[in-house]
Amino acid sequence: MPSPPVALTPGLASFLKSLKTNPIDTSIDDLISLLKRRQIRHSRSCATATAYLLRSVISACRTSDANKLIERVQYVGRRLMAAQPREMVVGNIVRRVLGLIRDEAEDDREADFTLSDAGSESQPQTPRVLDDLSESLSGRHEGSDRSSSRQPFASLSAPPISMFSLLSHPEPESSLPGTPASASPSGRLLSQIHNKDIRAEVLDGINEIIDELGQVDDQIAAYALDHIHSNEIILTHTSSTTVQKFLLKAAAKRKFTVIHAESYPNNHEATHATVSGQTPDDDELLSTEAFQKPLIALGITVILIPDSAVFALMSRVNKVILGTHSVLANGGLVAAAGTRVIARAAKVHQTPVVVVSGVYKLSPVYPFDFDSLIEYGDASKVIGYEDGDLVDQIDVQNPLYDYVPAESIDLYITNLGGHAPSYLYRIVSDHYRKEDINV
Amino acid sequence: MGQLLSGLWHAARAAGGAAYGIIAGVRPSLSQRAATPTTSEKVAHAPPPPPSCNHVSPRANPVAASTSSMSSQPQSTQGPAPSAAPPASTSTPATSTSTSTSNSASTSTKPPKQPSSKQPAKPKDNAAAASAADGALTPAELKKKAKAEKAARRARERAEREAPAGNAGGAAPGTPSAKKGAAGSGGAGGKDAAATPGQQQKGQKQAPRRGSAQLTGAAEVKKKQEDKNVAVFGHLYGQQRRTTVAGAGKEVHPAVLALGLQMRDYVVCGSSARCVATLLAFKRVIEAYTTPLGTSLARHLTTHLSHQITYLSTCRPLSISQGNAIRALKLAISSIDPSVPEADAKAELSDFIDSFIREKITVADQVIAGSAAQKIQDGDVIVTFAGSSIVKQTLLTAHKQGKKFRVSIIDSRPLFEGKNLARTLANAGLDVQYSLMNGISHAIKDATKVFLGAHAMTSNGRLYSRVGTALVAMSAKERAGGVEVPVIVCCETVKFTDRVALDSIVVNEIADADELVIADPVQQLTGLPDPAAPAATELKKGKAAPPPVEPSTAAQKVPSPLTDWKGSANLQLLNIMYDVTPAEYVDMVVTEMGSLPPSAVPIVHRMSTNL
Repeated sequence: MPSPPVALTPGLASFLKSLKTNPIDTSIDDLISLLKRRQIRHSRSCATATAYLLRSVISACRTSDANKLIERVQYVGRRLMAAQPREMVVGNIVRRVLGLIRDEAEDDREADFTLSDAGSESQPQTPRVLDDLSESLSGRHEGSDRSSSRQPFASLSAPPISMFSLLSHPEPESSLPGTPASASPSGRLLSQIHNKDIRAEVLDGINEIIDELGQVDDQIAAYALDHIHSNEIILTHTSSTTVQKFLLKAAAKRKFTVIHAESYPNNHEATHATVSGQTPDDDELLSTEAFQKPLIALGITVILIPDSAVFALMSRVNKVILGTHSVLANGGLVAAAGTRVIARAAKVHQTPVVVVSGVYKLSPVYPFDFDSLIEYGDASKVIGYEDGDLVDQIDVQNPLYDYVPAESIDLYITNLGGHAPSYLYRIVSDHYRKEDINV
Repeated sequence: MGQLLSGLWHAARAAGGAAYGIIAGVRPSLSQRAATPTTSEKVAHAPPPPPSCNHVSPRANPVAASTSSMSSQPQSTQGPAPSAAPPASTSTPATSTSTSTSNSASTSTKPPKQPSSKQPAKPKDNAAAASAADGALTPAELKKKAKAEKAARRARERAEREAPAGNAGGAAPGTPSAKKGAAGSGGAGGKDAAATPGQQQKGQKQAPRRGSAQLTGAAEVKKKQEDKNVAVFGHLYGQQRRTTVAGAGKEVHPAVLALGLQMRDYVVCGSSARCVATLLAFKRVIEAYTTPLGTSLARHLTTHLSHQITYLSTCRPLSISQGNAIRALKLAISSIDPSVPEADAKAELSDFIDSFIREKITVADQVIAGSAAQKIQDGDVIVTFAGSSIVKQTLLTAHKQGKKFRVSIIDSRPLFEGKNLARTLANAGLDVQYSLMNGISHAIKDATKVFLGAHAMTSNGRLYSRVGTALVAMSAKERAGGVEVPVIVCCETVKFTDRVALDSIVVNEIADADELVIADPVQQLTGLPDPAAPAATELKKGKAAPPPVEPSTAAQKVPSPLTDWKGSANLQLLNIMYDVTPAEYVDMVVTEMGSLPPSAVPIVHRMSTNL
């Protein structure tokens, strides 16, 4: 349940605020209900909320046993994913966290072997590290058990140490009580550290994910100049911050024209706001985007068209740049409704279609049943209350998403660079572990 | 004498004002040819009927209702008007100059010339009328001329006074409608701005001074507006649609005046509806027409009709079907034997119009609906786009035949024509599903057939229809992994044209971009704060859009971010009306002459025009 000081409308901001004060189970329930009520909608907001929640979950979880951590995260993850099964991003983040835990656990096991083999060689390095490490850990000891909020600062203060300790771990105390390495004072300290360490590493990893979520749009935008040439006519659809940043980056250097299809019943207000440069009154979008200059302020001509005019204008368009809701392992994508016809029309006119998307939207799910991926929205947006008599008689449909097959896409630009749709499976296997595909 | 004349003039003026009042609200009368030149501010600001895409709109004003009821039942409601003695003269076809009015490109260049081309014609009219010794008219005309000179002098003085103000502010209080007229030429602007009696002649007399003052004022506005025109479509912007009946030529028949506004506001909308309505209005024009002395009906009526056509095309560019019908009508006029008495000739033309409507549209629709309905089978899922009357008729016919099928209507902004179709079909008991453009790929998923209406079929077999049609046809042909869905176009041959189109940019129609701005937030069901709120919405409906009343509603709902899109640089809104569907997406064109492949369009067109 939302925390007492909810002056905000329920959403990402209020959730993150309440996360610091609420007990963890309340926060989980809170996020589940937010997802169910679609009060957190944008895929990045969902991802951020999930990542923060999992960080709290792990820091509240007083075990160092990797398997228990995995179980706990799986349990929470399943509940979250069940709350919004079509929001792939939640599952993606859960899978990545699970992958982190598994990686850490495996590294530990490997570290055991390497340390027992070459413990003496690593010895000279440890004391120097330990001073820092123990400092950071003492800070962590105070904070970690009760409040999760202090956790990130502690761990952020010593990122290189955690990286180093990845390689220089001794074996866990519990598993191997009487090894020679733990006999020395420094060794004992190390093994004490280790108890906390798997969690600390995972928390650091989650912080990295959170950082990635914050930077992903800028990272993608960095590729903009490689893809947009001067005097180009670019068509885009709905309001996507990723696309906007991408275009803005290019607009700083080059002049081009943007044709913006408005995606009428579901997202046209945000599109209109984006296009005209007025701050969208959307709490979910975090601070910086709201103050971003619109394209028109940079001298870019923006032409707003209704969705129906896409085919008519496509013959003039040089490139179609689309945002997406999530990307599937086969290279297809689930994007705002109307994207599919746009991609098709582009294909018909031999216009390249570029999809910009953070890697976090890349889901290992293979779409066997396309219909299950599609969510249907509020029918009153299609036919309003003034036509109430009509609603009784006819079946009004308002799909929110389209499945766009991989054949219609020419290029994906993620924060890792540009990829062909056929290459995406490789990125999937880099980011998710096989055992986590079914959480 | 002078007293008498001025009295007559005032009487004529009053009649004119009354006639315009009637046009705005009640019913046009046929008897005010003499009164047409006046412009009345009341009419200029009369609220236009709310835009509606249906040609039988329940909200339309009585004139609209009467016109649309006529369009559904093409019967003559007027007896033949009393006519003067027929003049005897040889017939020369004067059609070639004006037959091209259906060409939207040429109409866009034509209207600016309208005043200048009309002025020389008028003295001739007057001379003819004078020689006819029409006692009531001639003194009035003379008096009007004198008055016009006085008005011209006044206007000139005012122009001199305004010139600096106009340069400074751009919108001086004296020229409230300068912005409206600015899209046209300076002359058009002057016409709008000064609603003085007898302004027809004024245009010639003091054109240089006033025109220049107007142009400088208009230049600023124009510079601002040019920014708002999408560059690629620059050739289509031409003239802004007419906003009032002010400045319409005195020859324009009130029925045509009313029709023009109805077409502009989409009260009469759709290719066939516009064609029928135009023909019916022209029938009344012909009934009210008397041939001036010294010329023949065959020669003069075409030019008389050209004025009506020019007026209509300033309200909204003419459709292909209108162009075809007008061409046929002019051909019929020019082929009338000059020795035929005028009453007979007019009766003949009325018959021609009736039979044209019957053959080319009413019966053709029935034939098409009958044969297209045969294509529908039990269990079909029919997808259609927007609201085509012929598709509606087809679906209703099939439903009456007892076929069980489902209809999925895809609709688009800003006209939402499919809503009326959905309502009609649902009322008839069909199973209707409705979605917008974003639902195409979902609607097409279980479709078995796609039925589309047409605005026109071009000679290269492409379908020129409401924007969005191409997307629907494309989706039908590119269904992922499934069999292609047959796309069937229902189209009367009157919509066939010998023009060709490759893309949707060269030939198209640009509608007012403001239509895209979401105007009224949905009426709040609860929480209306004060009785002032309904008044505010009332005012807004009248397109007065007063900013002061805004705060009361703004507190509840933030106005659309696009409301002042014209103020933000580099932002353009594009609202095109049509797009061109490639011929390969169309499997069959159902016409009254049979079902054809799209490649057969030019042959059928040649056959039907040569008949």
